[in-house]
Amino acid sequence: MLFNSLDFAIFLPIVFILYWFVAYKHLRFQNALLVVASYMFYGWWDYRFLALIFFSSLVDYTIGLQLNVEQNKAKRKILLWLSILVNLGFLGFFKYYNFFVDNFVEAFTFFGTKIQPNTLDIILPVGISFYTFQTLSYTIDVYKQKLKPTNDIISFLAFVSFFPQLVAGPIERATNLLPQFYKKRKFHYSQAVDGCRQILWGFFKKMVIADNCAEYANIIFNNSENYSGSTLAIGAIFFTFQIYGDFSGYSDIAIGTSRLFGFNLKQNFAFPYFSRDIAEFWRRWHISLSTWFRDYLYIPLGGSRGGTWIKIRNVFIIFLVSGFWHGANWTFIVWGFLNALYFLPLLLFNKNRVNMVIVAQEKKLPSIIELFQIAITFGLTVLAWVFFRAETITHALSFIKNMFTVTLLKLPVVRPSYLIILLLLFILVEWLGRNQKYALECLFLKSSRFIKWGFYMLIMACIFILRGKEQVFIYFQF
Amino acid sequence: MKRFLKIGILFFTLFFILEKGTYYLLDKAPKREYDKRLDLVLRGQMNKDLIVLGSSRGGSNIIAKQIQEKTGLEAYNLSYQGANVIFQDFVFKTLLKFNKPPKKVVLAIDNPYEFKNEPSLQFRLDQLHPLSKYNYINNALINHGEQNILSKLFCLARVSKLTFNKVKEPLLNPFESCGSRPIIKKTKKDIIYKEGSLNYLIEDESLKHLAAFKNIQTLCKANNIELIFLFSPNYHAFNSKFKNRFSELLLPENKILIYDSLNPIYKNKDYFYDISHLNKKGAKIFTLEIADFINAN
Repeated sequence: MLFNSLDFAIFLPIVFILYWFVAYKHLRFQNALLVVASYMFYGWWDYRFLALIFFSSLVDYTIGLQLNVEQNKAKRKILLWLSILVNLGFLGFFKYYNFFVDNFVEAFTFFGTKIQPNTLDIILPVGISFYTFQTLSYTIDVYKQKLKPTNDIISFLAFVSFFPQLVAGPIERATNLLPQFYKKRKFHYSQAVDGCRQILWGFFKKMVIADNCAEYANIIFNNSENYSGSTLAIGAIFFTFQIYGDFSGYSDIAIGTSRLFGFNLKQNFAFPYFSRDIAEFWRRWHISLSTWFRDYLYIPLGGSRGGTWIKIRNVFIIFLVSGFWHGANWTFIVWGFLNALYFLPLLLFNKNRVNMVIVAQEKKLPSIIELFQIAITFGLTVLAWVFFRAETITHALSFIKNMFTVTLLKLPVVRPSYLIILLLLFILVEWLGRNQKYALECLFLKSSRFIKWGFYMLIMACIFILRGKEQVFIYFQF
Repeated sequence: MKRFLKIGILFFTLFFILEKGTYYLLDKAPKREYDKRLDLVLRGQMNKDLIVLGSSRGGSNIIAKQIQEKTGLEAYNLSYQGANVIFQDFVFKTLLKFNKPPKKVVLAIDNPYEFKNEPSLQFRLDQLHPLSKYNYINNALINHGEQNILSKLFCLARVSKLTFNKVKEPLLNPFESCGSRPIIKKTKKDIIYKEGSLNYLIEDESLKHLAAFKNIQTLCKANNIELIFLFSPNYHAFNSKFKNRFSELLLPENKILIYDSLNPIYKNKDYFYDISHLNKKGAKIFTLEIADFINAN
């Protein structure tokens, strides 16, 4: 089920009413309702893959309980690896099988041996990368004894399949989300209203910003050989805003919806395009994934401790794996590699933790230097997104090659003025709200109800009138 | 919880009421359009004896006013530039729904693209967007995935960037009073007459296009309307393979008028704007042929 669909517009109020009015008195009943609703939400897309989520949940639930009683270190390790193998096995099969087969075939062909590829027509289950990482966090935390395993299977099933964040995150840690299923949730008016506000802003980002940018980004990327450098640059910028609007919009809707049910999910985006360096960007972009990799991969590998080579190795591993997580294509790996290259100098010169708070925190405007830093970081990000969006590496390279020609200084052929104005207004709203969890959180909050409601209605009107052609959420393919 | 629901309901009710104000804008949109023909159809003001349907070939090659003068039948041209047969079928269905059926329909054929997915011939959704205030049009936009189903409830959801797609009056080939748009512009390109036989592949046909074509014939039969298919001149040899295929798809009662390919005028570039369209001088001659055909039958 898509958030931006009529199905969801009907589904959400029904679940909300049942949750707070019918199942309110019994916690287990409320959790069971969430499981049923979540499985329905997922099954709406393809019910066959429900078995996969259920099996994955069952494996980790059982392993979690076994880890609790098992004292033998070796056996505990085997249990952990069993969970990792099952989860990553599914992910590897559904997401990476054809990629590996194709690349083996190409490698053999390169060395003169021709083999017949045996690829399969595999459908990628929506959200598999997200819930796999979420459920893995549970087993690892139980193994490390940071978390007590649950013997409440309903809560565990609800934790793995919680519908607001099931298909595109945020990837919640078991330590944060699972305990919320044990406690009776209370309805808080302010929390629910805040949730609605965040949902509204999420829809605006997705349907107005991302979907409009997508139309032009698609035109430019699909015909990149015909356009001037400046048009290609504007196409890359449109994609930069598309992916931000799309993914952070989804996260806002997910977090806002969770708040309606009394849950608090972690912030997933913190105004990443206002970052002053790449390290800051990665602390602000897809935070739930970055911190997952940091805690379960980077730190176990040694993190930034150890010698220079260990640091370099770890940075490349984490960024390459992060790229590969996004999709079975070399373009994502190069995107990760490029980000590692951006990040490395900061780490080596110990500058990766310079910009820890949001830019111009106590001020209205950034300084000239900060503005320059933001522009440089944004430019580097735009360049990396070209690899993320391109079909192949050759496509990305030719796109960049054609972009950096004398035609970069010409007026772009594609320059939708309404969209450019819209983006500028969007940046302004994001700037004004940059000290909050999401831009709209405090905007006009202290104004009279008349102004506040007028503003929300204006945003709703914008969603209706300025919506772009409906596009599937980009991160569904991951 | 009660407070949340109360305030939520109040907010949405207020929004629901206020957004109805958008109807004012929607109502204005058709009036801002240069081409008001479909609006007239929807308002039931297209009660004519003869209707011309087609793409730009129908719009520019057939002068409805001249047919009216020569045959005494009240005629109107409802051809749309760049419209495929699916859109022509839609216009025809709309005409029959809101107006009394015409006695005759002249359908200008796009030889040889009538049944193909030709990029230059589309379902003209841009013509429908400014008319989204009409439920009938809104439903059509929903069916084509252009409009959200919420537009049945919310006026705001009927508004899009294309709603106020005002097209200025063209200086060189404006509409005539009966909906035709003969070309008075001079061609910039030199055109060369192409001889030789032309090919036609049945495999390229689209089922949707064939169904729409069949539907026009069925509707005419059901409403007792005389249907005349029209092959207008091209500045190249006649594609008889397409004509043969076309004949296979015809109901026996329908008539075909093929331009007089022996007429030397249709090989004279002074009468053409480009290889597919006559200019006004050529259109007058061709329309005379049509009027004579109607009078004779």
